[in-house]
Amino acid sequence: MGGFDWGFTFVLVVNGVMVGLMYALIALGFVLICKATDVINFAQGEFVMFAAFIAAGVAGAGLNFWVAALVSIIGMVALGFGLERVVLRPLIGRGIIAVVMATIGLAAVLRGVAVLIFGPDTRAITMPVGDMPINLGIVSVPPAQLAGAVVSIIFLAVFSWFFLKSRVGVAMRAVADSQQVAMAMGINVRRYFALAWAMAGVVSAIGGVVWGAMLGVDNQIALVGLKVFPVVILGGLDSIVGAIVGGLIIGVVENLAAGYFDPVVGGGTKDFAPYLVMLIVLMIRPEGMFGRRRIERV
Amino acid sequence: MFYREAGAFKTNYAADMALYPLPITRWAVVATAVLFIVIAPMFFGEYVVSLLNLILIAVVGALGLNILVGYSGQISIGHGAFMSVGAYTAAHLVVALHLPFWVTIPAGGIMAALVGLVVGIPSLRVKGIYLCISTLAAQLIIEWTINHVQWISGGVQASIQIPRPSVFGVALVHERQIYLFLLAFAIIAIVATQNLVRSRIGRAFIAIRDQDIAAEIIGINIFRYKLYAFAISSFYAGVAGALESYYLGIANYEQFQIDVSIDYLAMVIIGGLGSVLGSVFGAVFVTLLPVVTRIVLDSAGRVFFSYSDLLSLVPNLRLVMFGGLIIFFLVVEPDGLNRLWGNIRNYFRMWPFSY
Amino acid sequence: MTSLSRTWLGLAAGATLLALAGTASAQQKEIVIGDQCDRTGPTQIVGTTLCPAMQDYYKLVNFQGGLDGWKIRGDEIDNQYKVPQGIEAYERQKQMGVVMMTLYGTPQTVALNERLEQDHMPTTSPGFGISAAADGTRYPYLFPIAATYWSQAAGAVKFAKDKLGGSLKGKKIAYVYYDNPAGKEPIVILDALQKIEGFQMRTFAVPPPGVELGAQILDITQRFHPDFVIAHLFGRSPSVLIKGLRGAGYPLSHVVGLVWASAEADIAAAGGWGVAEGYNTMQFAGAGDNYPVRQAIKAMYKKEGQNPPDTMKNTVIYNRGVFQAAIQIEAIKNALKISGGKKPTGEQVKAGLEQIHNFTLGGLVPPLQITAADHEGGGWVRIFQVHGGKFVPATGWYRAYRDVVEHAVKTAE
Repeated sequence: MGGFDWGFTFVLVVNGVMVGLMYALIALGFVLICKATDVINFAQGEFVMFAAFIAAGVAGAGLNFWVAALVSIIGMVALGFGLERVVLRPLIGRGIIAVVMATIGLAAVLRGVAVLIFGPDTRAITMPVGDMPINLGIVSVPPAQLAGAVVSIIFLAVFSWFFLKSRVGVAMRAVADSQQVAMAMGINVRRYFALAWAMAGVVSAIGGVVWGAMLGVDNQIALVGLKVFPVVILGGLDSIVGAIVGGLIIGVVENLAAGYFDPVVGGGTKDFAPYLVMLIVLMIRPEGMFGRRRIERV
Repeated sequence: MFYREAGAFKTNYAADMALYPLPITRWAVVATAVLFIVIAPMFFGEYVVSLLNLILIAVVGALGLNILVGYSGQISIGHGAFMSVGAYTAAHLVVALHLPFWVTIPAGGIMAALVGLVVGIPSLRVKGIYLCISTLAAQLIIEWTINHVQWISGGVQASIQIPRPSVFGVALVHERQIYLFLLAFAIIAIVATQNLVRSRIGRAFIAIRDQDIAAEIIGINIFRYKLYAFAISSFYAGVAGALESYYLGIANYEQFQIDVSIDYLAMVIIGGLGSVLGSVFGAVFVTLLPVVTRIVLDSAGRVFFSYSDLLSLVPNLRLVMFGGLIIFFLVVEPDGLNRLWGNIRNYFRMWPFSY
Repeated sequence: MTSLSRTWLGLAAGATLLALAGTASAQQKEIVIGDQCDRTGPTQIVGTTLCPAMQDYYKLVNFQGGLDGWKIRGDEIDNQYKVPQGIEAYERQKQMGVVMMTLYGTPQTVALNERLEQDHMPTTSPGFGISAAADGTRYPYLFPIAATYWSQAAGAVKFAKDKLGGSLKGKKIAYVYYDNPAGKEPIVILDALQKIEGFQMRTFAVPPPGVELGAQILDITQRFHPDFVIAHLFGRSPSVLIKGLRGAGYPLSHVVGLVWASAEADIAAAGGWGVAEGYNTMQFAGAGDNYPVRQAIKAMYKKEGQNPPDTMKNTVIYNRGVFQAAIQIEAIKNALKISGGKKPTGEQVKAGLEQIHNFTLGGLVPPLQITAADHEGGGWVRIFQVHGGKFVPATGWYRAYRDVVEHAVKTAE
């Protein structure tokens, strides 16, 4: 139904880019942890959800948006530190299955605790940007989405700079490269592990606030976690640039699939297409587009 | 105290290689079998028997996943999807061709094994986290396919009704009848797994898990055995899925979604990776955990909370406990319940001269 | 004090007093109803309001003196929207000797259907489950009691027809649905009506979890340009659709959400009443606060020196809980007449359900007429529109295209 239509395709792509930037931001939290500590975090979605709950809780108490965002960031940093210490550190050096399962368990815990503390109701976070669509030429974009995209770009840029140039960032890369060599160079590896989790907390908090403002807050928003995997596999598990490019590609692929495949196959292909793309990438280039190539026996 | 190894002499190789080499083990196995076959259905109420039924299905599935994860060192978050493949295959064979269960259930297993072979192909190229995510993709793609392909799903509701299995012309309708039916399959699965892991294939799995290069050097074809692992594991999953469909009287993909895959992973981790007994423990534990926590919290909490407050607390506390226990076992007792059991057994083995 | 710290306190002390607890439950004449719920799974947003409302209604019944000297107790088990848990809950409640049940979730209903018949357990599945179960002769123990997805779809088309000036000829309708079996169920009715009414329909699938609908919204508003949108969504997706359609400038007065896309929570998550102004919601129980039974519940809480619970503010879902419980109680009341005051059997409760008519609870319940053949009670729905910060009735109770729906029920496999 309906042939190819440039205008329509263009708006789909724009929408895909907007959403893709959000995915990139959420995937960034995942990549930070994976890059520095080799941990695959299946609870990334729940991190985002928890952050959104904190922000909505604070905002619900009558405080303004910026305070809510700040409290959320502080809370998530504390959570990141705490979890690293209690859950992840004892698992250092254990197999991949143990770590994956631990983060799956963590996901269940965070879901339960969030509802116990904040209650099950859906809450709203209102960004101070109004709600009239902003017109950008052919497409008009909801301001919350635009704000989200801008925030994503800023944070992605900040973290790219951080890893490339700052002293701490370089040290973290060193840790990621080889823990032994890093230790020999006098880097306190454990401190950087904790730092990576704390930074992931910051990113999740930003992601949670923006994503929560777009969707409303309840435990369903944790499901965005499932989007992270195609993004990071596509971009490379340990690459920040990869997260950005992967996020954008997945966002666009999703939208084009929904726009052009859905009518053909008579079903929603939006969540399915990214995984298909991911599988293809996995078979051709497992380390992703920007991932560090490791020679590994299979 | 009863577990005595002394005095059991073997005079030929066959005796040494027997599945249960010690007389005491044989007696224990026979006693357990009698307990479950004769005594349990006689004395337990229908509710308890229905719990046992759920456990028996979980045992079959958990054994399959343990072969893949525990013995072969591969990882899969797609176990639920393989179960649905088995369930739909069996359902179609029953409905369209009226085949009896002893054809449909193995057929469900075989179909799941074939799909498992395909899903296992990435394991030849990637491992660890990549394999984990590609099985996740398989889970989602299989779910999607069943949901959207009408001749698989059997219509918009994506559910196919199955008549209850009948043995010698008797339809197994009541919980107690179907209990014995499921028990038979669980016993076959347990014994088959015990034999499998001591066979050439099982030893190859363990070799690949422990040191793949060494395994290759001693002449094990890694690719082939990895695919075997996927196929065998999926076969169990398919059988478990078909059993569940027979038990419920319906095949429906919504009962085999990703949370089911995660529950099964929890079973093999909590029970103990690479252990048959551990799979059984894990199946029991994960199935009963929500039930027991609910009953305990319900009655304990009623002293302090009104029933309506309690109703909102208990489910969430249960979720926290589920996640918390997974983490607890991983951090504190990585070998799972199987190790705890081993410790207890060893204590009594030496008793009263334990040191 | 957070509920978390209270919980730990309760746990610590509770464990020591476990033995006492068993004896705490009163030894009164008691009728137990078994309810399943989802308070932690994917639909917890509904369950956490619906199920407390049912408990409130039982409380009200007991507060007013019970039924013929019987106290009512609703035993609730959280099934997390999982099938094995649903089976376990069913068996446990059956063992408790419940006289009837209310299930939760379509897959659970499908899976348990066969047992209901076997055990003679009258069971309601309001607003979900199997549409064909409206046929009481084929599903003797399953009672949808509220409009099934088929009746809802028919009602939505009728509403669109009235809104668009009495004819749908040449009009375009977009059907946006959650891409699971429940979401696809109405399509068969919509297809049939498409031929009868001569409109053009396109379907837009929203794959679960449906938290991002950008592409579908663009497709609807920029390519298809429908005259009307029917949304059959669950969970987070209704709010995303409302927000998105509003952002794209589509008039929300030409959108109707079926029953699970129609609660206050959806409006709140979409950004509030202002954003959703004009949106039409379909209900199988009355929305809003203006019903005697709600006032009675509030008065009961006041008399006990408590504030009415916050869940009451979600009037749509709360009232549905009251509706479900009220139908159960009404059925038991009828059954007690049949049994002569003794604890009713499953067959008697079934007969009691099949006698429900003219029971409107002050307008909260539609004019149901449940019979042995029609377990749906007629398929009544009502549209409430978001207007000026609340739900305003846009229609009375109505039903539509019964011949089409009944044909589908009769020919369903």
